[in-house]
Amino acid sequence: MSSKSAILAALDSVAIAKHEMPKVAIAPRLDDLVGQFDASLKAVGGSLVKDNAIEALQQQVAALVAEGNQVISQVAEVSGNRETPEDPHALRDINYAVIQGELAVAENGSVWVTEQGAGIRIAPFICENLYLVVKADTIVANMHEALKLINLQDTGYGVFISGPSKTADIEQALVIGAHGACTLTVYLV
Amino acid sequence: MATTTTANHAEKAEIFCRDEARVDWHSKALWLLRQKRDRAASSLPEWEELRELGSEYKLHTLSHLGEYLEQFEANCIKQGIQVHWAKDGAEHNRIVHEILAKHQVKKLVKSKSMLTEECHLNPYLEQHGIEVIDTDLGERIIQLNKQPPSHIVVPAIHLKKEEVGELFHEKIGTEKGASDPTYLTRAARQHLREHFLSADAAMTGVNMAIADQGAIVVCTNEGNADMGGNLPSLTLHSMGIDKMVPNMEAASVLLRTLARNAIGQPITTYSSFYHGPKPGGEMHVIIVDNGRTKALKDKLLAESLKCIRCGGCINTCPVYRRSGGYSYNYFIPGPIGIAVGAQEDNTNTTAWACTLCGSCTYVCPTKVPLDKIIAYQRRLKAEQGTLPYGKDRYMPIVGKVMGSATLFNCAMSVARFSLRNLPNAMLKPFSGAWGKYRELPKAPKTSFEAWYNKNRSE
Repeated sequence: MSSKSAILAALDSVAIAKHEMPKVAIAPRLDDLVGQFDASLKAVGGSLVKDNAIEALQQQVAALVAEGNQVISQVAEVSGNRETPEDPHALRDINYAVIQGELAVAENGSVWVTEQGAGIRIAPFICENLYLVVKADTIVANMHEALKLINLQDTGYGVFISGPSKTADIEQALVIGAHGACTLTVYLV
Repeated sequence: MATTTTANHAEKAEIFCRDEARVDWHSKALWLLRQKRDRAASSLPEWEELRELGSEYKLHTLSHLGEYLEQFEANCIKQGIQVHWAKDGAEHNRIVHEILAKHQVKKLVKSKSMLTEECHLNPYLEQHGIEVIDTDLGERIIQLNKQPPSHIVVPAIHLKKEEVGELFHEKIGTEKGASDPTYLTRAARQHLREHFLSADAAMTGVNMAIADQGAIVVCTNEGNADMGGNLPSLTLHSMGIDKMVPNMEAASVLLRTLARNAIGQPITTYSSFYHGPKPGGEMHVIIVDNGRTKALKDKLLAESLKCIRCGGCINTCPVYRRSGGYSYNYFIPGPIGIAVGAQEDNTNTTAWACTLCGSCTYVCPTKVPLDKIIAYQRRLKAEQGTLPYGKDRYMPIVGKVMGSATLFNCAMSVARFSLRNLPNAMLKPFSGAWGKYRELPKAPKTSFEAWYNKNRSE
């Protein structure tokens, strides 16, 4: 018997009585979604730009490029100085990545990014600094609402990103900047 | 897969307790996590509802597990994900090695996975000439220190920053005497980035596997799973059969409680949904039983499979906080470690490393009845005739005395008399381990029953 058949056969009878599928019936907190998102993002170490965000981002990126930084951009209105490569290793020297997020979650400050939005899966992780662009009207209250809207059939990879990478593995001291991006700014458009 | 060991829980705890300042620090560091968890939980009015939903989703999935595993596999295959089934740790390791050997992998980067710890994967692969690099900072620290994890979420919690500084100085060339956590973390970032960029394959654990999507979810704060998983073209993910959830709605419930209950964050920095190989790459999922179907045959032990490994029960446990992760004779410590590992402990003592205070059950985000399972593990030990040394002799006597009012009252009056009239030195030996660090109580003149009859019987 294959291991699969053995495992499935062993699962034919389990000691737990059949339980019905539950249903989430939690009312989302809808007051001031932008304010909630802003507060959550700050709490996880990120920052938010919401006034004239796209112009601010364009100026910021132009200045970074002028300073000689390596910038990759997947956002149409913003031009970086690097192309999306086929080999993810080629992005090892990227200083800034500009990526389009699909939706944002008020309760935890996270932004949903897919491989289409990122251009290549490694982009939001390998860069030193991450700029996420997301539309203000895509902010939802909580994870129940977010996962209702996401259709995984459209993508092979997606990630909720909530702030810059961090660790507290040495004596519980919080350090921002573990393996992923060391800073995260969300531009709300 | 029993670990051969001779020291029992109390003996190992005693080693940990020699350094009193460290025990205090350890206890406080973990209690801080519990306090952060309390703040995060109380900020959501629906917290108790989420715990109930978490429990119900898990019970529903476990009672239909075969169907969901098959649905998950079919959806994975549709997405081009290759699925493997392993009945135990040895088969899991063989499958992993076969995949790696086929691709001539020399270096594997791994993100945290308690399952690969359970299967002893690292030494197996190393014996076959494959370099394994653990990439979670805490995991890397203990890998360099040649130690197992002492906690499932914060695996290097037993080490002080000075010790990490010394270790890093020796192994990765940081400055001698440097112990600043930011400095050490940045050094590890550089050191591990080289490994990420030169690895031939990556491996991660799985936090959830979503049946109706054929997707797996991996949660980290550091981004190490994604740095690994998104660089080399070959990626492997190992999961226990208990990681299954039916759909996205169930995942949304657990994603709301996991990080809040673990460390007080609203969600981990990264919650990644892997739903297919990267262009031109290969993605493998290995589904592992290793004793889980056996646990599902027992009504109470089965509930331990609701666990989502947040570590909340470990942080709150008064025994863990003061005895350390290495005292449990199992690779998972604390209440959940006893619940799933007591049968592997051949000193037959860890089931007693618990005061049955119930704090673990109170914080559990999927309502695993940990205290009941631990009490049940003691019963199993008694039924198997493997009670710890001494307990097998005096427990039957205690049972008889406590089962008879006359015997019990008589014994209590002897105890009261002795405590009031006999010297401490003579009585202390009878109090056993309990009296080792405690003074004997002052005995009242009469029993509570006699006092009650005299004062409140009207």
